[in-house]
Amino acid sequence: MLTLLRDLRRLRRSIALPRPDRGRSLALRHVDAGSCNGCEHELTLTSSPYYDLQRFGLGIVASPRHADVLLVTGPVTTRMREPLLTAYHAMPEPRLVAALGDCALGCGILGAPDELVGPVDTLLPVNLRIPGCPPAPETIATALLSLVDGRREHDGG
Amino acid sequence: MLHDARGYREAVEAALADGHRFASLHASDGGSVVHAALVAPDGAVRLESVRTKGGAAPTVVDVAPAAGWDEREAHDLYGVRFDGHEPLRPLVDHDLVLSHWVVPVRGEDAYQVAVGPIHAGVIESGHFRFHVVGDRILHLDARLFYKHRGLERAAEGSSLADGARYVGRACAACAVANGLAYAHACEVSLGLEPPPELERARTLLLELERIWSHLNDIAAVCAGVGLAAGNNLFTALTERARRVNADLTGHRFLFGAVAIGGSSLELDARQVGAARDELEAIGRETVRGWRELQFSASFQDRLPDIGIVDSTAVARLGTVGPAARAAGVALDVRSTSARLAYAGFECRLPERPEGDVRARLEQRSLELDQSLEIALQLLEGPLQPTAATSVGKEDPVGVGLVESPRGATLCVVERNGNRVQRVRLRTGSYANWPSVAYAGTDNLLPDFPLINKSFELCYACADR
Repeated sequence: MLTLLRDLRRLRRSIALPRPDRGRSLALRHVDAGSCNGCEHELTLTSSPYYDLQRFGLGIVASPRHADVLLVTGPVTTRMREPLLTAYHAMPEPRLVAALGDCALGCGILGAPDELVGPVDTLLPVNLRIPGCPPAPETIATALLSLVDGRREHDGG
Repeated sequence: MLHDARGYREAVEAALADGHRFASLHASDGGSVVHAALVAPDGAVRLESVRTKGGAAPTVVDVAPAAGWDEREAHDLYGVRFDGHEPLRPLVDHDLVLSHWVVPVRGEDAYQVAVGPIHAGVIESGHFRFHVVGDRILHLDARLFYKHRGLERAAEGSSLADGARYVGRACAACAVANGLAYAHACEVSLGLEPPPELERARTLLLELERIWSHLNDIAAVCAGVGLAAGNNLFTALTERARRVNADLTGHRFLFGAVAIGGSSLELDARQVGAARDELEAIGRETVRGWRELQFSASFQDRLPDIGIVDSTAVARLGTVGPAARAAGVALDVRSTSARLAYAGFECRLPERPEGDVRARLEQRSLELDQSLEIALQLLEGPLQPTAATSVGKEDPVGVGLVESPRGATLCVVERNGNRVQRVRLRTGSYANWPSVAYAGTDNLLPDFPLINKSFELCYACADR
C-alpha cells in the first residue's frame, strides 16, 4: 500500500494547475439539480490524485451551512427547484454560486419544458460559469481555482 | 401481440412459465395500450400488449413483481390503473403527501430517518426514507424522480436520429448502453442488420464504458469504507480509462459515438496500438491494486454479510447485472447478443456468490478483467466506418436489449415513419433500485452508504 501511495503522489505532478495564493480556501457544496450524472462523475475526479483539489484548499463539504460556494449541475428540474433554493438560503454570506456544465448554463437542454424551470441564473445569481458537456476535471479544477483568486477581489482584500 | 384483459394475463403467465424473464412494461398511445416485454432464455424479446378499458388494465405484479415500478410509473405518467395492484403507490408523481408513498411502519420505537434529496457528497439527487429501530433498518422507501426531465415525452415526434440525443442524455454513465439499446430498437424496426465491423465497433464502445464504470465502482466502495488509498488508486485508473475514451472517440464518456444505422468511428493502427498499450497498463495496475485491497484487513472486514440480495431475491425482484451475478445467477445479455461481437461469451461468477457487498465488489473485479480482455481483442486492428445493411423486414415497433455496466437495459421504440411515436428506456439502474431498498432492510443504518455504493446505480438513468 505504501508503494502505491508513493506512485499516486507522482501523478499530481503530471498536471500543471495554476497555483492560487497560499493560505486561501473555499468550501464547496454540490447540488445536482437534474443532471445526467456526467458533471458529477467529472467533479468526483477533481479529487483524484491527478488533480487533488484539496491541496489547493478547495474541499467539498457535507452541508451548505459550511459552504462558501454552491456548485450547481443540471438544467434545474421542477422537483429540484425547492431543494436548490433551500440549500442556497442555508448558506452563510458572502456566498457564491457556480453553474457547472452546459445544462446548468442553459445550453442545449433536452427535456419536456414543463418539467424544467430553466438555467440556474434564472433562480440564483451566478458568479462562475463552467461550460462543457460535461466539463473535464481539468477545466473544472482550473475554473474553481480562479474563484479562489476572484474571492480576494470579492471581499476587497 | 394485442390481447384482451384475460388474454394478456394468460400470455404473460405462459411466457413466465416458459422461462421468459420480465424485462419492461410501459403505457403508450396516451394510456390506451400497455405493453409488457418478456425476454426468452435465448435473448429473444416478445411484447404482450393489452388495450386498457375505462383507463384500467389487469396487473401482472403478482406474477412478475419486477413490474411494480413500471406499473406505478404508467399510472403516474399515463393515468393507467392496474386492477389488482394494491396499493398502487405513486412513483414519479411528487405532488402527493408523504402518507401516499411511504409504506406504513408502526410499532414501539420505530421512527423515520429522512435523507436527501441533496446528499453529503458529490452524489445525484434522490430521497431515502429509512424506517428504523435504533440503528437497524426495518424498511426503506426510496423516492427518486427528482431528476425527472420528461426525456421520453420530449423525444416523441422527433426524428429517429434526434431521438438518440434524448436517450443518450438520459445518463452519461450509461450513454453507450442506452444509446445502443435505442439504436438496436430503431434498426430492428427499420429492418437493418449490422455487419461484423459495426458489431465490433459497438461492442468495443460498450466494453470501454464498462471498464471506466467498473473502475469507478471499485473506487466508490473504497470511498464507502473510507479507504483513501484504494479510492485514490481506482479514481486515478478511472481517469486514465476516460482519457482512453477521449483519445479513441473524442469524448471522455463516448457521447455521440453510437448512431442509428452505422458507425463513423475510424481508428488507425497507431490509435488502436496506443489504446491497447494503455488498457494493458490499466489492467496491470488494476491487478496490483486489487491484490493490495485483499490484504487490507480493515477494508475487508466491512464487506461480508451486509446488503444481501441472494438468488431467490434476484429471481423475485428481477435484479440484473453484476448484482444478480454476485448472487450466482448467470444472467448476462452479452451471452445472447445476436447483434454484437460477443461470440463465445460466458459470464464469470464469483467463488462465493453470496450476494453481499463483498460478492458485488468481487464481481466488478472479475468483469473488469474480462472486459479488458474483450476490448484488447477488439482493438487488434484498425477500425473502419460502416453502415448497417437492409434486410427489408420492417416493423412499427422495435426492441433493443444490451448489457450496461449495471445490467440489462431495454429500449422499446414505437415508430411512425421516420418519427418517434413513443420511446421507453428501462435501464439496469431502474431495474435494480428496488433491490437496493431490499438490500438495506435488516441492516444497520451506518452500513447503508456502503451497501448503496456496492450497487452504484445511476439516478439519472432511472429518473430520465
